Formats: sequence, C-alpha cells, structure tokens
Amino acid sequence: MNPEPKIGVYICRCGCDKEGNISATVDVEKLKEAAAAMPGVKAAEVYEFVCSNPGQQMIRDGIKQHKLNRIVVAACSPRMHLETFRRNVKQEGLNPYLLEIANIREQCSWIHEDRKLATIKAIDLVGRAVERARNLKPLEEKTVKVNRDALVIGGGIAGINASIELADKGFQVYLVEKGPSVGGHMAQLGKTFPTLDCSSCIITPKMVYVAQHPLIKILSLSEVTKVEGMPGNYKITITKRPRSVDASKCTACGECSRKCPVTVKSEFEVGMGQRKAIYQPFRQAVPSAYYIDREHCLYFTKGICKVCQKFCKASAVDFTQQEETIELNVGAIVVSTGYELLDPHYVKQYSYGLHPDIVTHLQFERLLVQGLHRPSTGEQPKKIAFILCVGSRMTQNGVGNGNGNGNGEEGDACEYCCNIGCMNAIKEAYVFQKEVPDADPWVFYTDIRAHGKGYEEFYARLRNHGVRFVRGRTAEVMPHNGSLRVRAADTLLGLPIEEDFDMVVLSAGLTPSQGTDNLARMVGIHTGSDGFFLERHHKLRPVDTQREGVYACGCALGPKDIRETITESMAAASHVASFLGKGEVAVSSEVAIIDDKKCDNCEKCITICPARAIVKTSETHVEINPMSCIGCGICVPVCPKNAIDLNHNTEAQLMGQIRGNPPKEDLSPKIVAFIEKNTAYAAADLAGQTRSQYGANVRIVSVPSVGRVGLKHMLQVFASGADGVALIEGEDSSFTGDKVREHLTRLKKELQPYGIESLRLVSTTTTIPQYPKMVETFEVFNSRLFKMGPLSPKVRSEIEKKLKEVQ
Amino acid sequence: MKYAYFPGCSIHTTAREYGVSSQAVSKVLGIELVEIPDWNCCGAMDAVYAYNPLLSISLSARNLALAEKMKMDIVTLCSACFFTLSRANKLLHEDSELKGKVDKLLTESGLQYSGEVKVRHYLDVLLNDVGLENISKNVKVKLDGLKVAPYYGCMLIRPPNVVNFDDPEHPTSLDKIVEAIGGKNVDYMYKTRCCGASLGLTEADVMMGMTKDLLLEAKNSNADCIVVPCPLCHLNMDAKQKSIESTFDVKIGIPIVFFTQLMGVAFGISPKELALDKNCVSTDKLFKQLHA
Amino acid sequence: MKANNKHAAANDRHVITAQMLDKTFLAEVMKMKGGQDVQDCIQCGVCAGSCFASWAMDFTPMQIVRMLHLGMKETVLSSSTIWVCASCYTCATRCPRGLDIPMIMSGLKNIAIKENIPAKIQIKPKFHKSFADIVQKYGRIHEPELFLKISNKTAPKTMMQDAVFGLTLLRKGKLKLKAPKVEQKAQWSSLFKNASKEGAQ
Repeated sequence: MNPEPKIGVYICRCGCDKEGNISATVDVEKLKEAAAAMPGVKAAEVYEFVCSNPGQQMIRDGIKQHKLNRIVVAACSPRMHLETFRRNVKQEGLNPYLLEIANIREQCSWIHEDRKLATIKAIDLVGRAVERARNLKPLEEKTVKVNRDALVIGGGIAGINASIELADKGFQVYLVEKGPSVGGHMAQLGKTFPTLDCSSCIITPKMVYVAQHPLIKILSLSEVTKVEGMPGNYKITITKRPRSVDASKCTACGECSRKCPVTVKSEFEVGMGQRKAIYQPFRQAVPSAYYIDREHCLYFTKGICKVCQKFCKASAVDFTQQEETIELNVGAIVVSTGYELLDPHYVKQYSYGLHPDIVTHLQFERLLVQGLHRPSTGEQPKKIAFILCVGSRMTQNGVGNGNGNGNGEEGDACEYCCNIGCMNAIKEAYVFQKEVPDADPWVFYTDIRAHGKGYEEFYARLRNHGVRFVRGRTAEVMPHNGSLRVRAADTLLGLPIEEDFDMVVLSAGLTPSQGTDNLARMVGIHTGSDGFFLERHHKLRPVDTQREGVYACGCALGPKDIRETITESMAAASHVASFLGKGEVAVSSEVAIIDDKKCDNCEKCITICPARAIVKTSETHVEINPMSCIGCGICVPVCPKNAIDLNHNTEAQLMGQIRGNPPKEDLSPKIVAFIEKNTAYAAADLAGQTRSQYGANVRIVSVPSVGRVGLKHMLQVFASGADGVALIEGEDSSFTGDKVREHLTRLKKELQPYGIESLRLVSTTTTIPQYPKMVETFEVFNSRLFKMGPLSPKVRSEIEKKLKEVQ
Repeated sequence: MKYAYFPGCSIHTTAREYGVSSQAVSKVLGIELVEIPDWNCCGAMDAVYAYNPLLSISLSARNLALAEKMKMDIVTLCSACFFTLSRANKLLHEDSELKGKVDKLLTESGLQYSGEVKVRHYLDVLLNDVGLENISKNVKVKLDGLKVAPYYGCMLIRPPNVVNFDDPEHPTSLDKIVEAIGGKNVDYMYKTRCCGASLGLTEADVMMGMTKDLLLEAKNSNADCIVVPCPLCHLNMDAKQKSIESTFDVKIGIPIVFFTQLMGVAFGISPKELALDKNCVSTDKLFKQLHA
Repeated sequence: MKANNKHAAANDRHVITAQMLDKTFLAEVMKMKGGQDVQDCIQCGVCAGSCFASWAMDFTPMQIVRMLHLGMKETVLSSSTIWVCASCYTCATRCPRGLDIPMIMSGLKNIAIKENIPAKIQIKPKFHKSFADIVQKYGRIHEPELFLKISNKTAPKTMMQDAVFGLTLLRKGKLKLKAPKVEQKAQWSSLFKNASKEGAQ
C-alpha cells in the first residue's frame, strides 16, 4: 500500500535577496507560489542557501512538520550537491531515492537574462520535478562482496613494483608474464640516468622479492585470453605455455644449455648475442628455471637429440609438458604491459640492417654490458654517433606517407616524443667514454629533453666532459668503406656536417607492446590515438582506466622513464587497495527489471543491451543481471510487451516528468531536450557555468541514455505541448553516435503517421568541452521551429486521443 | 608488350643515345614502344610549374589524354618526364577541383582524360614485365666482371608516393639489371645523390660542384663506368665532364652510359645501333675487348 | 659600420620587428599546393642536412621555412635558395612532417616571377618564362633557342663556354638546329593559351 505522496518544494535563492545566483534572474517568490499550487505539494519554501546547515535543517523540519515523503529541491545542478541532500533526508528517515533536484541554476538562471522568461521556465522545470517526485519509489543501496585478489598483467618493472606494493598491503597478487622470466626491458639496461645506478642492481632484488613473497604468484609463459565478470569479481582465463622443464626441480646449473647443439640469436641480447634452444634468458632470471624454445629445439622439430635431458642431473627436463589453461577470480586488474621499440628499418635513410655496426639504443645497452665492441670486427669503437628521434616526432614518414602509430605498418612512425631518448643517449655517451680511452661520442639531436629531476644537471656535466652535440636531425647514415658516414646539418650554424664513425646508435621510438589492441578489447578498456592504453583522466585519474577495477601503469600508458614508472605503479597499487580494501563495492540499484508475467521471450532486449547484461537462463526465462546492468534503459522501449522497467527512471517517473505541471502561460515554440545524464548533462551545466545563452523555451529532461526514449514518450512530449524534441547523448556513451542516429531515424519514421514532421526532431552527441555545439544545436533548432511554427493543435489533440491506443 | 611511348624532348636531341639504344634493346626483348602521336613537352618538372602551375599540369594532361586514346599505359625513358607525368596524374586523381579545371581546358581542345593511364619508367617494364630471367637469356657477350657504378639520380625513385617504383634510399633496380647482364655492381655512397639536374642549364657552377662529387666518388670506388637512367643526369655527367675536370682541376675520365646502351652491348648489338659514338667521354677503350 | 649578418637587409636597427613581417605572405603560401602543412615544421633540420645544393644557397631550406613562418617575404623571395633548389626531393622524402619542400620552392619561384622580384642570381627567372615561351611555340623544347634566350649578355666568358658546349653537342648530332613542330597547331595553341590564362589567375 503506497501512502499518498506529500511533496515538499524547497527553492534556493543561491545568494541574498535579489542578488542570488538564482534569485537575480528567477522570481523565486512567484516560483514558490506556483509550486505551492501544484497537486500534492504540501509545503513550499524559499531560502538563501538551501545546501547550508540551516537550509538542510529547514528541509528536515518540513519533513517532520508536514509528514513529507517526497522532496523537490529547486537549486543548482545535482552534480553539485545531490549526495548532500540525499544524506540529509536520510537523516530524517526518508529513503534517499525519494529526493529530486530541479536544476534552475546551471540550466536556467545562468542561461537566461530575461526575468519573465526565466521564471516561466523555472516553473516548468519545477513542475516536471514535482511530477517525477510524485512517482519516485524507495530503493535499496546495495553492495556486493569483492574478491580481494589482484591480477597484474606484464612482469616488467611496472608490474613487478605494483605487485610488491599490493602484496605488502596484504593482497594476493597473480603476476602474469608472457616470457620465461620477469624483468622486462629494464633488466636489459646497463646503467640508468641520471644517477648511473646499475639497472640490474635495482631490479634484481625486486625480482627476488617477487619470487619469494608469499602473496605473489608468478605465472610465467602466460597470457590472458579471456576476461569476464564485473568490477570486484573478474573471472580471468589464462593460457600457460609449457616450459618443458620442471621448475620445481631445475637448479639452473646451466649444464643443459652448455650441451645443447642448437644456437640461435638471443632475444634478451636483442640480437647482439646468442643462446641455445634450451636456455635461461639471463643469469638473474626469475623464475630461474630453464626453458625450451620448441620452435628451434631439435627434439620438437625433428624428433632427435634430447641431449639436455641426458645431462640434467636434476631430471628436470620434461618434454611431455602441455599447454595449461588456468582460471582465476580476482577483484581488480593492473595492466602493465610496457613497450616495444619501433623498427628502425622504417626510417630508411639510417640504413639500419645494412651494416652490423648500426644498432638501436637497446642493442647498444647490451653491448655496453658485454664489454663494448663493434659487432663487425669485435674491436673497440672510438667514434660513435648517437642519433636521436629515430621514428619519433613524425606526423608523416616523408611527404604524403601516412602515419601509423608505430605498430609496424608500412611508412610507420610515432608522432609523440619517446621521452627517454635524449637522456639515454647522453648516458650511453658517458658510459662509452668511461669504457674506452679517447672515446669520441657525438650526439645528433633535434631538441634535448632533460625534463626530470637531475636531468639538466646531468646534461650539463656531460657537455663539460667533451661529448659533442650537433643540433640537427640526422639526414642520412651511409655505410662506406668499413665505417659509417653520418650527415646532418648543424642548424645552429646553417652548415652541413659529414663525419665517419665506427658505430651509429639509433634512439628508436617506443611503441605500444604487441597485442595492446587485443588486450584492450578483452579487458574492456580503451587505447588513445597514440596506440597506448588511455587513462581515465589526463590529470586527475592518470592510472585509472574507463572500466572500474582496471588500472594501468608504466609504459603501457605511454613512454616514460623508470622513476615515473615506479611512481605510477605505486599509484595504481594504491587505487587497487582503495577499491578492494573495503571488501565490498557499491552496486547501483538503478537497474532494469523484467516483469516475468509480461515477458514472452522474444529476446529483443538481449540483442540490444550494450553491456550484455541480459541473458536467457532457460527456454522460457530471460533475466537481467543486476551486477552487469549499467542502467541505460535502452531495453525499456524496445520491449514490445512493455515488460521492462528501469529503477529510478521508471515509465511512471519519466512520463510524469514529460507531462509535468505546465505553467499557465508558456513560450512557443517549446523544445524538450532529452539529455543523457552524465557527459551530455555535464556539458549542459558547463554551458551555464560559462553563461552561454540559448532560448528559454528549451526544457531539459535528464535521461540515463537517449535510447531510453521511445515512441510512447515522444508522443506524450508532443501531446503535452512541445513543438520540437532534441536528443543529446554523451560521446563516450555505449549508445554510440551511430546508434543515436539510427534511433532518431526510427523515431521519425514512427512519428510520421501521427502527423509529426521529421524536422521536429534533432539529435547529436557531445563531449563535455563541446557544449558550444549543444548551444548551437538549440539555436539552429529554434530558428527552424520558428519558421515551421508550432505543432498544429489538431495534430496535438489527435495524438492525445491515440495515446490511449499505444500501450 | 605494347606501350604508349613518351620520349620526352631530349630523346631526339641531347640524349639521342638513350632513345636509339632503347629501341634496339626493345626489339630484342619484344617490347613495342609506340610513340604517342604529336606528344608535347611534359612540363619538365619545375621548368613550367614555377612559371604557371596549372599550365604545367595541363601540358602533362594532354599527353595522358593522348595515351588514353591509344588505350595503353605510358612508358618513358626520362626520369624527369616520369616524375612530371606521374605527379600530374596523381594530382588529377586527388584534387577534383583541379581535375575540373583541366578537364574543361582539355575539352576545349577536343581532348579528354578520365584517369585510366598509368605512368611507368622503362626500367619498371624491364624488371616487372620482361623479367630478369628473360633479360639474362638474351646476353650474348660476357661483360667479364666489368665494374659498373649504378647511378639512380632523383626522380626515378623520389618522392616515393608519386613515383612509387623503387626504394628511395636503397634502390636496387639498376643493380639488378647490371647483374642480370653480367656486370659487377660497385658499391659507392652517392648512387642516389642529386647531380644538379636543370641547374646544369642555369647555374652550371652549382651543378658542376654537385656532379664532381658523384664522379670522383665513383672513380674512387674503382668503377669502370657509370650507368644512368636519365638524360639530364647523363648530360651533366658526360657532356660536362670535361668542363668539370678543368674547372676543378681533377682527372675523372669515366665513361657514362645509359643502362640500355650497356644492355645492348651485352646483347651483342653493334656500337652503331647503340649510338655509343655519341657519348662525349669515349667508350671505345671500355668496350674494345667486348665488341664482337 | 655596415652590418655583416646576412639578415642585415632587415632594418636600420638591425633587428627583426613585427612591421617587417607580412602575415598575408604566410597565408598566401599556405594556400598554394604543398604549402598547407608549412606550419607543421618543427625546424628539425633534416632538409638542411639532406640538401646537396645547400652550399650554394644563402639560406638553408629550413631557414626559408622559418622565414615563411615569420612572414619575411622580401628576404625569402630575393634569396638564392629558391632558385638553386634542384627539386631532387631528398628533403621531402625524409621530412618528419611530410612537407613537400620542392613544391613550396616552386610556389615561391612562381610568386617571385609574378611579382617581378629580382633574385640574387639573374638567370633563373628568365629560364622559366623562356622555357614556357619556347614550348608554346613548338610544343617541345628547342635547346639552341633556349641557350640563346637564357644567356647572360653581361657574362661574356660564360656565353663563350656555353657556345663551345653547344658546338660540341652539335658536332655529336645531339643538338638539332631545326625546331620541332607540333602538328595539331590550333588545338595546341588554344590549350596553351587558355591554360596559361586560367593558371595566371
């Protein structure tokens, strides 16, 4: 038995007397009068600052005094104080979902200057809020328990450090690594800048810690193949490739490797060294167990040899190992997949691949660690050219060649700066000088980027050390008579420089790791225009992704140095801890529900649901998973049996808001704009904040998605006095621009037989900063409707009659 | 294999050897070069374009229209013509406003071009239509390890999005031809460096400075001769070689031959048919032992 | 003392001031084919490094683009650079912003020819017009006439050298004294004239 709704309307001046942000334009006394006269309204008050303590007290007093069970606050945008008002009414024993806010500031008083018009509009907005409030129902705030384990994808320094941080906080961590060992690219580096710490000395203790930590489980040779579930409860499927060595028995003595007859280029040495078919990528590998490369192993390719097994004293070699599938349940995911080097073959003028002494900066690191020598002769190089920006800062790879994003397409290059090339080259020049007497390093640069702590000082020190710097992007590298002729313009002098070098080191651009796009799709997150994973917000949420419970850190987000990587990994771990720490996560109650009695299993809703939240549980039963439902309401108008309703935006509530309590005199033509409640609504607010102007005949109704609006609602809108309808969706919505257009086209077709011209409908998508586009849409629509004139009263009354026919 | 042959202005004059030797080689390989009737100057790269860009494109367009009438692709010997015609073709495809203007001009002259013609260099035909195997099959005279410096020049290989033929930094087409006919390619640094092109006509000093470096580098790499695919490069390196020697007081003395002349020699075609006597720097000593 | 810096033609205070900068020039350059990307240039210097004729230029290609950014019209159009560019395309093939520098140089030549701006080297402007005139007459180039037209009468030594060169070619049969003739005279003539007129606008 639902008690009769007793509505209280509280109007804010948002300032004193007639100077308030609202009262300056809206006649709040008149508004109060009109509100008090609306059906069901038992109390109507005006106050300076309704959000303040006295204001809140006033509401609580009202609830007590008049036994109010519905509250309408006519004030600033709900994006400001919705939670405050909800907490307030909860204090007085009222369910927080029985509160409605009418936005008469950002979407009214700040937009219009004419007092009369603004007041008429405010009355309309409050009238709609009152009707919606009348139909509000109490809802429970639900939480669901979260799984307290975390998955870290990628075992480089970012993943290693994030794992350590999380494990130290008490979370169980699964660290998934594609290769046979963790360590990533950092394990390949020699010295690091600017402190000249040895990279291995920093990372190996961390690798050991990760191996020994009771709460960290390393899954090497593994890749994630499926991600299901929801934030707080993800189900992960992992494929683990066979090591062909029993890791529990292997002592890493290396005897197998010594005896193995197959030699191939070592990936860890980036081709600057070799390994056997059974090998350990590097001495400090974690896990330390050896690994058989089945593509080159003679047993797996030809069925012969098995020498490693013969000589293994621990009997650890196991040719029978198979690929494994592992399933895990975790609450949060950290993506730390690192980077790859751009293939310098694409920058043809540097002749990479045409001479063994032209190497990438990573290959040079390995040579430095091995004891610097020329790959061609084995002798010490005396003169080295370090060439920066190879493949970086390029919008095109030569005239008219399109730009890929460094992912290996023809003509590829990176538009962004690699961030570490300058400092790395300077460091390498220094180490070169330390190792070789009479070393003569030259650095050919476009701009020296020494942005980090201690970097500029390091650069200055090295200039004093006799490292030669030439300002000019290198034009070409020509192998010639055993040496390498480098040509560049010294742009500071305006003259070309040509010199022969023993070696050329190319600072290649850094690109997203292979498989980034695939992983993004799997996990449900986005990549940016540079191909790297995209953070949720550039400044405020740099390690969060678009999906709750999924975080990213390190070079997976974009090229950066080790210090920034560590910082991000700590931030990601901290966010995971906040997310999982409470042990439970809030689940929205604003979800869709199916009335079994009306449902005929047509499955139209299943097809249309963008979150795949609706499933067929049996031949005769369709269910909506409340955990997966994102509350967009697109399924509601799609159901031919009207079997679906959406909590907190029910049919009764929406229709009520559409009918509203129209003011006695109103503007013509009238536009009702259905605006998606997150991004598009924020854009509309921003229009108000910036005091943009558009017609006072535009009345905004907030909806979860414009897909929520169907034929029935459109008919009601026109029947209730509108002459035009606008649908505005956020660009990041699951109801994409294409779908919005489709939806509009369908609605136009459906409305035609009722005599509603298709030009009376308009739709667009917007991002938050694109609010001028929204304003322009309103203005253009307005002038169009002025020319067309209001909807014919005959059509309107026909529709009212026919409304009874449409269920 | 029939093609609409665009000789270019220099083929009948300053690069006579090129035209003559190409015809001889084509006969052996079964290539029919059908000269486009009443062809006009393509615009010569920058020469007309700097004066009047639309005029330059229209000049090229007339030739494209004439070739389209013949229902054949254009094949040219001159790298500069190759570039000029290719660029005009590309611009006409990309810029519909430009195409509209040019279409109007062509129509007024009773012509039309719908965009179907491809522009190719003779080298492209040799490599891709004839094939290296067929070329090798026709070799009758051993070049006996003749050391050849293949010189590509500019317009044959750059810019890659217009000419789209060989690698712009490390091309191999000429090298492959030389190998196919039994020559030995000499590796030297300047095979793609500009000789100065039309500067040879207007700023001869600048051209000579640029060409001198090429010639000396080839000489220092012990080349017996340099093969070229372009009339202007040939003019600058061959006809002007003596001037370069005297201006810079250097000794060069390297014969410059068109690659078709070298091919002709390998095929056993007589020096007269290859117009070997027209090269300014004498080729006599070079081919004495090879002439049948 | 007269300023030695090659920009000294600037103004009497030997500084660049906004007054000297012509914003409309940059706009004009951006309208021409190849010029639309000119603002993308990050002044990296690959073009200057790749240019094998830069030793004969007063400004490197990179500096010319810099001056286009600033609008230094007079300096750019009277430079030797735009005339010494051989359109070899080495720079454009390597430019990390995809600038078609030879086309920009062509466009600048075009403006200089149209506005009759004298270059430091005299021959070039005459070359383009002379070439076009000859092609208009015969449909193809006629080298002897071209040689004559572009000869600089104020440099007798060079004239002599050119004449000797011409004779060498003639002797080898590589020069035809008789001019070529286009067959479809009327059609050719009208196409050339109309295209010239249309393009000059």
